[in-house]
Amino acid sequence: MGRTVATITQHLNETEAMLQRFRRTLRRQDQVLFDGLMASAHAHIAAISEAQALLPFEVALLAMLLEQHRQIAHLNQRVADLEQSFGMFHPDAR
Amino acid sequence: MRAEILGWLLDVYTRPSGELVCWLLGKDGQRWLLPMDFPVTFYAGGRPEHLRQAWRAVTDSSVQKARAVRADLFGREQILLSLTAPTPGQAGALYHQLSTTFPHLDYYDADVPLGVRFMAYTGVPLLGYCRFQTDGQSLISLEPLESPWELVPSQPPLRVMELTCSSDPALKLPSTLMLHCGTWVYHLALQPLRAFLANFQAILQRYDPDVILTDYGDAWFFAFLRESAPHFNPNRDPIMPVAFQRERSLFAYGQVLYRARQAHLFGRWHIDRCNAALFGEIGLEGVLELARVTGLGVQEAARKSPGAGITAMQMHTALRDRVLIPVAKAQAETPRTLNDLIQHDRGGLIYQPLIGVHKYVAEIDFTSMYPYIMVNHNISPETLGYHDATSGLVPRTLRPLLEKRTALKRFLCTLDRRDCRVPLLQARQKALKWLLVVCFGYLGYKNARFGRVESHEAVTGISRELLLQSKEVAEELGFTVLHMYVDSLFVWHAKSTREEDFTPLLLAIERQTGIPVTLEGVYQWLVFPPARRHPSIPVPNRYFGAFNDGRVKVRGLALRRHDTPRFVAETQWHLLSLLAQSENPEEHAEAARAFAKAQLSRLARRDVPAEDLKVAVKLRQRPEICLRPGPAAQAARQLHERGVTIRPGMRLFFWFTRQGISVTQPPPEALDLERYARLVQRAVDEVLEVFKPPPPLSLQLRLDSFAFPACTCPQRP
Repeated sequence: MGRTVATITQHLNETEAMLQRFRRTLRRQDQVLFDGLMASAHAHIAAISEAQALLPFEVALLAMLLEQHRQIAHLNQRVADLEQSFGMFHPDAR
Repeated sequence: MRAEILGWLLDVYTRPSGELVCWLLGKDGQRWLLPMDFPVTFYAGGRPEHLRQAWRAVTDSSVQKARAVRADLFGREQILLSLTAPTPGQAGALYHQLSTTFPHLDYYDADVPLGVRFMAYTGVPLLGYCRFQTDGQSLISLEPLESPWELVPSQPPLRVMELTCSSDPALKLPSTLMLHCGTWVYHLALQPLRAFLANFQAILQRYDPDVILTDYGDAWFFAFLRESAPHFNPNRDPIMPVAFQRERSLFAYGQVLYRARQAHLFGRWHIDRCNAALFGEIGLEGVLELARVTGLGVQEAARKSPGAGITAMQMHTALRDRVLIPVAKAQAETPRTLNDLIQHDRGGLIYQPLIGVHKYVAEIDFTSMYPYIMVNHNISPETLGYHDATSGLVPRTLRPLLEKRTALKRFLCTLDRRDCRVPLLQARQKALKWLLVVCFGYLGYKNARFGRVESHEAVTGISRELLLQSKEVAEELGFTVLHMYVDSLFVWHAKSTREEDFTPLLLAIERQTGIPVTLEGVYQWLVFPPARRHPSIPVPNRYFGAFNDGRVKVRGLALRRHDTPRFVAETQWHLLSLLAQSENPEEHAEAARAFAKAQLSRLARRDVPAEDLKVAVKLRQRPEICLRPGPAAQAARQLHERGVTIRPGMRLFFWFTRQGISVTQPPPEALDLERYARLVQRAVDEVLEVFKPPPPLSLQLRLDSFAFPACTCPQRP
């Protein structure tokens, strides 16, 4: 916890508060996605803090990308597993 | 006639005449109150012309004046006016007079606690075993036979009297007092007052206690005695009256605290268990240990925060090593760039845990991580920026403390849990732990005599680096790091289920960081629940689990909060106990839900004692300035209307009723059962939410509660 500099959690909460009107304007289903995106940044607060960035939200965006990349990797793996279980071959494997 | 006696130094204080009095307990059981010659020196610094004026202003011939050259913490030598008064009382009065007349001078060594100064100059710690010579009228000499750092110090045979009253005096004047003296218990009715006073005095004289442990002694009993019997003196020293210190509210450690009025005795100690913050945890044994190592008197050590203890220890080191102790902190923080602040103005490393139920997780704790960093890396205000500096004042102060606590913990590990020495040793090591806990915070505290925020930041910077190194070590050995929290790690490995499986990791971390680590235990299962605001946001300081040996550990749940009613806390605890019955908590989740339902039914039937629904909340500010008064402010107003004096930081008790709140116990039909049911349900959800079956796909994809609209749903080819 810093004395003068706000913590990353405070930064993220303030950014979320600042983006409230943006969120409000989104459609309901997009609001849910937006909340999930912001939540995914919260999973990497320690790493964002260690980056010591002047603008922490830039690194928070990287954390969101990381989470998305993880989900893509996870889905890829599931697709590969399903294809294997159905006896299909991945096009890249040919 | 001169006599040489072996015994213990219990306390030192000044009489109104200014002379120092030592309270000693001989090995034969005799109590001594002996005055002693104890001149006190303090210094004034500043511009030469101002020092000359101050020199001329001191006209008392008994005060020795001299020119002195002394170094401060940073090694800067200064020309000072040295003033030596023949007694501590005179020195205090002289300092008060000079600081009022010459406020622009800097004063050094002027406000050191008497016990600390005495320990520094005689080498005899409070509670320390010693040899003393007396002619029966005064103390001639004193020689230490024991250090405060003895692992098992000798125990003075103290007589303890406990005094409890039949009700909380803030709400209702007690009708009887219970006095526990050894194996005897006396019940004394407060009315008629004359009979009570006669009985109390008789018991005091007959039992002659060294320690009086009370409930509400500070806030009520001794003030009541003074008002109802002004000539009654409960002190052993007949010259001294009871010393009262006024009540106050203060802001410390991020919260508003209330310290009730204090009543200090002379020649015996008074400790109010309701006004001694740590007493519940460390007990009398812990308080005696605090007094032994800090030099603060037992009555101060019991009531003051551990920060005061650490300051006293630093003062002792400074006096011993002839370093000037400024009355007010002298050095200010240097101006810094934003970039510098972003890099260094940070705390310990707090990870985000992986949400869910985890099996066979080891919790690894660093032992006194921050103090070890301060000692190993020589972190002190004066050593910052120097790689080859000699040991700084802060590490010099901490090293024996750290070594003693580590030795105590090692000794405890060798003992059977049923050994009668274990509770006493635990109390002592906990007391030392609190000193070590606050020593780091005091480095960054703005008013700390020997603090500097840059050294505080250096400690957190090193701790973050060490924790990252530990994570890397764990990952290299194939462990998954589930969570890290400042000085602890939670790790998992598919093939590690027993404590010995984690030993290689512990050794590797110790080798890498140079700081001892201990295995808190291996959890059969451990839950990191999600935040209430979103199911994929983790909460760093909330978890619960069952160790392999059956212990249950809980952090951040309702039952850990002071404002949770007993009924809610017990319900939550019972749920956890049910889950802890096997290594698969999911198996007992249904039974736990059934129990929660039964508890809610009990509540609905009004089958819960009102005492178990009492809520305790700390008042944060004066109730009259609350624009929208919450329950605490409402309770404060009700109590105020009943004539009770309310101060911020006080803990107030009340019940939720249909009309709002009530500070007196309401009839069962007036209780707001819906509100209590919500509290119970919330406590149940905290524990059982994570055991709900997950939604089939959406949770795995982390698109929680999201569903594509029917029209946009991708079609299977």
